[in-house]
Amino acid sequence: MRVLLPLPVVLPLLAAGASLALHRHRWLQRALGLLTLTAVLGVSIALLLEVRADGIGVVDVGGWEAPIGITLVADLLAVIMLAIATAMLLVVLVYAIGHPATEDTRRFFHPTYLVLAAGVSLAFLTGDLFNLFVAFEIMLIASYVLITLGGSEPQVRSGMTYVVFSLLSSTLFVTAVGLVYAATGTVNLADLAGRLDGIDPAIRNALGLMLLVVFGVKAAIFPLFSWLPDSYPTAPSPVTAIFAGLLTKVGVYAIIRTQTLLFPADGASEVLLAIAALTMVVGVLGAIAQNDVKRILSFHIVSQIGYMILGLGLFSVAGIAGAIFYIVHHIVVKTTLFLVSGLIEVSAGTGALSRLSGLTRRAPVVAVLFALPALSLAGIPPFSGFVAKLALVQAGLDIDQGLVIGVSLLVSLLTLFSMTKIWAGAFWGAPSEVEAPDDAGGDRALRPPPLMVGATAALVLTSLVIAFGAAPLYDLSHDAATALMAPDGYVGAVLDR
Amino acid sequence: MPGRLVGDLVLTAPAPLRRSAALLALLGLHAVLAGAAPVLGRRLGPRVLLVCALAPAATVAWALARAGGVLDGRPVTEVRPWVGELGVELAFRLDGFSLLMVALVSGIGVPVFVYAWRYFAPRPDIGRFAGLLTAFAGAMLGVVLTDNLLVLYVCWELTSITSYLLIGFDDTKAPARAAALQALLITGAGGLAMLAGFVLLGQAAGTYTFSEILADPPTGTTVGIAAALVLAGAFTKSAQVPFHSWLPGAMAAPTPVSAYLHSATMVKAGVYLIARFAPALAPVVGWWRPVVVSVGVVTMLVGGLAALRQHDVKLLLAHGTVSQLGFLVALFGAGWEEATFAAAALLLAHGLFKATLFMTVGIVDHAAHTRDLRQLSGLHATLRPVAVVAVIATASMAGLPPFLGFVAKEAGLEALLHEGSSATLVLVGIVAGSALTVAYGARYVWGAFATKPGRAGAPMAATPVEPPGAAILAPAVVLTVATVLLGAVPALADPLVEGAATSLDPRVEGVHLALWHGITVALGLSVLAVTVGVALFVGRDRMARLQAALPRTSSGTEVYQATLTATLRLADRVTSVVQSGSLPRYLQVALVTLLVLPGTALLSGPGLPDDLAIAESPLQVVVAALVVGAALAAARSRRRFAAVLCLGGVGYGVAVLFVIQGAPDLALTQLLVETLAVVIFVLVLRHLPERFSETSRRLSRLSRAAVSAGVGTFVAAFALIAGAARQEPAVSGEHLARALPDGGGRNVVNVILVDFRGLDTMGEITVLAVAALGIASLVLSGRSERTAGLAAHDPDEPAPATEADGPVGAVSSAGGDRLG
Amino acid sequence: MTVTLALTVGALFAFGTYLLLQRTLTRVVIGLGLMGHGANLLLLLAGGRAGDAPFVSDDGPPAAAADPLPQALALTAIVITFGVTAFLLALAYRSWQHTHDDDVEDDPEDRRIAALASEEHTPARQGES
Repeated sequence: MRVLLPLPVVLPLLAAGASLALHRHRWLQRALGLLTLTAVLGVSIALLLEVRADGIGVVDVGGWEAPIGITLVADLLAVIMLAIATAMLLVVLVYAIGHPATEDTRRFFHPTYLVLAAGVSLAFLTGDLFNLFVAFEIMLIASYVLITLGGSEPQVRSGMTYVVFSLLSSTLFVTAVGLVYAATGTVNLADLAGRLDGIDPAIRNALGLMLLVVFGVKAAIFPLFSWLPDSYPTAPSPVTAIFAGLLTKVGVYAIIRTQTLLFPADGASEVLLAIAALTMVVGVLGAIAQNDVKRILSFHIVSQIGYMILGLGLFSVAGIAGAIFYIVHHIVVKTTLFLVSGLIEVSAGTGALSRLSGLTRRAPVVAVLFALPALSLAGIPPFSGFVAKLALVQAGLDIDQGLVIGVSLLVSLLTLFSMTKIWAGAFWGAPSEVEAPDDAGGDRALRPPPLMVGATAALVLTSLVIAFGAAPLYDLSHDAATALMAPDGYVGAVLDR
Repeated sequence: MPGRLVGDLVLTAPAPLRRSAALLALLGLHAVLAGAAPVLGRRLGPRVLLVCALAPAATVAWALARAGGVLDGRPVTEVRPWVGELGVELAFRLDGFSLLMVALVSGIGVPVFVYAWRYFAPRPDIGRFAGLLTAFAGAMLGVVLTDNLLVLYVCWELTSITSYLLIGFDDTKAPARAAALQALLITGAGGLAMLAGFVLLGQAAGTYTFSEILADPPTGTTVGIAAALVLAGAFTKSAQVPFHSWLPGAMAAPTPVSAYLHSATMVKAGVYLIARFAPALAPVVGWWRPVVVSVGVVTMLVGGLAALRQHDVKLLLAHGTVSQLGFLVALFGAGWEEATFAAAALLLAHGLFKATLFMTVGIVDHAAHTRDLRQLSGLHATLRPVAVVAVIATASMAGLPPFLGFVAKEAGLEALLHEGSSATLVLVGIVAGSALTVAYGARYVWGAFATKPGRAGAPMAATPVEPPGAAILAPAVVLTVATVLLGAVPALADPLVEGAATSLDPRVEGVHLALWHGITVALGLSVLAVTVGVALFVGRDRMARLQAALPRTSSGTEVYQATLTATLRLADRVTSVVQSGSLPRYLQVALVTLLVLPGTALLSGPGLPDDLAIAESPLQVVVAALVVGAALAAARSRRRFAAVLCLGGVGYGVAVLFVIQGAPDLALTQLLVETLAVVIFVLVLRHLPERFSETSRRLSRLSRAAVSAGVGTFVAAFALIAGAARQEPAVSGEHLARALPDGGGRNVVNVILVDFRGLDTMGEITVLAVAALGIASLVLSGRSERTAGLAAHDPDEPAPATEADGPVGAVSSAGGDRLG
Repeated sequence: MTVTLALTVGALFAFGTYLLLQRTLTRVVIGLGLMGHGANLLLLLAGGRAGDAPFVSDDGPPAAAADPLPQALALTAIVITFGVTAFLLALAYRSWQHTHDDDVEDDPEDRRIAALASEEHTPARQGES
């Protein structure tokens, strides 16, 4: 454990440096990226198995014990997130290598992508509030660079929205760290858990909500989400896909971590449930109003975040287990859908529904690759989204939260509606006249590169595996939730050694 | 978990449950064939449907083999785990009622597949069609076989999805797409309600095993809510008023689909559910019986009346299906044992005759290229065999002896008569409904096959037809033979129907089907219904005028359309508010959220501490004043450079405050960073005009000032309150103590940065490096464009597409029209 | 933490917010800069009262040493904020290359949908979507 735990952060960082040095050797860059992420995936899975068997793993960076130094903490939630995130990073990298416009001509893509991976890993593993800020910044700066790679006008405009908004939230994060330190004198999460208990509940509550706002911006909850649908769709598909899959979920992770560890509630939290309901509804309405595949999908990210917050807001083991399961499902499915949107753009030369038509005939494989995750997103059985939704519905009805569960079911109907809009618009109908802009013309342009299709298909399969092999994953989520609901275990593992 | 025990076996021993892996294998076979069909279709053409027919055929064979034991009350079961923690188990159970449903789903499935093989001309997407139809058959089989409520929901939704894809199969036609969506949304909404109902029910009962819940139904208000939610699912699926509008729309599907999904099987799913639940829930949920029976009767009448108005014979049959589904719901829904028995018989009869009727419509449609009964004429002569089949099926539907429909309806009337006065109203409704059935049945036969009077009294010329092959008629003939045989010799159907009804309600024991009950009241009512029906048909012109004169009731489609429009409008409105596209607005929302959430929480707290120091030194006050002054100047400045310099001034002032606070290292860093920042700023700014342009002002000065003042106050107050809330000394005591002995440095801040918290510093360096990379990338991309002579272009023109933004450029320029 | 310093932090946030909520990109960046200064100052102040610089002599740390941890954190935060701000300025530069002005543009797709929402809906849109 001591050896493995820092590797998900260290390996990609080292590889990023090497990759930068290799910027003239595209194939070496590719191989290095794939190799590194494969290794990190292996490490993550090893960590997952180890934490499952032996409980929370803790490493004091530099040998300085908590709360003096920074500790890396691998509890079940962290390693579940780590494993699924790394898997996505790996698959999307494969897709990006196949994508004609992302990686080909951009020598900075690989190093930046690896830094992003390091930042994400650190965010999951760190047990320190300020270090979490640093992790976020690593992840964000990499994301700023990736989203503006190429520097075209729409990218710059939307990049600006993204950077300015993120910078505001980072500033608020620093402010929040300052306030937390002022009130408690520590930034170690485990230490904080104890110290926050001792201060005035109103102040504690205010600090909790302050952090909720800070992470809420990253997680794109209502009403802090507006930056997302404006900025994500302009990036190249693989970049959007990995952002959609991961970045907001890091925010959700931070919310779950801090709200369960630092500000545990006795019962369902009205604030969180209200936010959850509004996020679900406003997000899905936004999706319905859109006419571009990527924008529709972007609004669905927002809407789906609501489900995760719903699970957390229930503040029961079942609720949080549902939220964790939902996150895993969502990361896979959302990433897949954005990869498919890339396939659509490559197949048809556009992502605008008004110009798409008849893809079932022209690109039947893409149609299948879209249909399965789309149904899953809407929570239609027997796909992973159904199991996730079912878990939340059961958890909510179990503690008489019928209203918010009703909202969530209505939203899943609207999600389905919105998916049929893409289906009926892009896949049904007479094949459109629009040809791919590719000069090679007709037939070749209709076939996306096999690497892209393969990567997407792999994710679709993953989603099916999550659905049909839901039992072990749900059990895992349940165990993780049980641990989160009893924060003493985390605190003890970090402080009492 | 013993199943519900039936018959004498109760007195002897628990019925041995027979386990079978074949159940799962059959479902698997459906799935495999569904997956393979699109590929096979390319090679085999329509014959792929015959291959796919293997799945229902195998199911029928298996069910026949198991029928004996099952009808004796020994269900076949199979349980496999799925997500145990959530109560989802792949539990299957073939009991008598399921057997009857399998007879419908797979037994009618085989003829439908064969029919479809001849129905379709070779077309490239035939494999996709076959796959979807097979997937549906499998899903429907799952609905009727599973013993786990959640798995039932899974299969239920799968039937909705396959139905969506099949209704919209002719996807180039906009009405087909719209009808598919309508069906999906209505049944989907009901399905979700049903899911919530299932979960409530399961939580109340402590199990999701269907048979266990039925054997020992939970009680309480929750169960009432659950029942209402489950009924919402059943009513939408089985097209009960007021949710029936989607079913006529679904006729946009190819006719084999109408024959299979939208008459014989899928629309029976809701009936199936009501049939299962009624005996258990009618006694414990007070409103169940009146509500369900009324909905059924009203549906029967509404559907019948609507059928009389149709000119498209397929639509006529669709409304007829709505009507018959209402009949079934009324009979099953009451939970009266005899009615249940009759309903089981009717279920079988309806599947047989309605599938047949749709098949004949399809043949007529193909032969005459129209389904409009005002244009069809003389087909009784030109399509004689089809006409014979259609007449027999219609007679069965109309409840004429000696067909199965008659036997079933007779049993139903008997059952209601036995219930006495409580059922009188239902009886009246059903007799009226039966009369309507006779009338629209006659309308169909007459409309499709009769020689119509043309203009000036002369008979209309016979519609030209292409004679159909024998193979396309064969499946209809097979089903018709069953209708005749089972009607003439009810004893043949009796074991199946009795077994089915008994498994629903053990009290059924001993009721039997009969063609001839003697001269009874029921027979009299049948005669009455037929007489009235014939009269309605004969007076159809007067009836049509009467119906036209009556105010048209909402068909539900209007409500659906209005809801859809309202949702779209709401979506646009909400989105235009929350997603205005304006960054300042987004930021304002975020900051207001800050004031609302933590801000209000803070207000409920202890308030500002009492023992506040104003300042620690006069110098502090002076520098602070300078900082605030510089910030104010930055905010007010109209010149870019001045504003940037003011910002720099603030930075230097803050550095001085750092020094006063005892942080010289920090001050040094701040000075350095601030200087660099100002330099970079100036480098960028030299391209821009000297003064700020006073452009659009969406946010009024006032609201901006208010938010600003709020944020400032909030942060200042929070800082003071948080600072006073500290209960324990900071952890940094340790840092001070251990910096030299353990960290080996005198400058504690340095030791923290490079040692205690070295990870932060590593992150910090990473951020700087990537920022440098990003800046380089942006500047380089700008430069490469300029060298390519592309940089200077009119700002109104879209940016020239670089290789990176092929799709992106297309997306952003995809203005224009919306889908709609 | 003294009232003076808290008010200074508050003022930096207030003026920063005022600038942030404008359309001119330069002002937005300056606003973020002011807020950043406020946040860093607050982080430092979280350590409590002013004190002696935290240098350890042979006799041990000074008796009234300032809290070193917030200083270290603030230092990291300052450098990180600088890096991001520099990137933002590069982005502004690139934006200027594209549009030759300094305004934060609204998202065109959002504007289009907002325009649609304000129009009356025609029945043509209802059929299917």
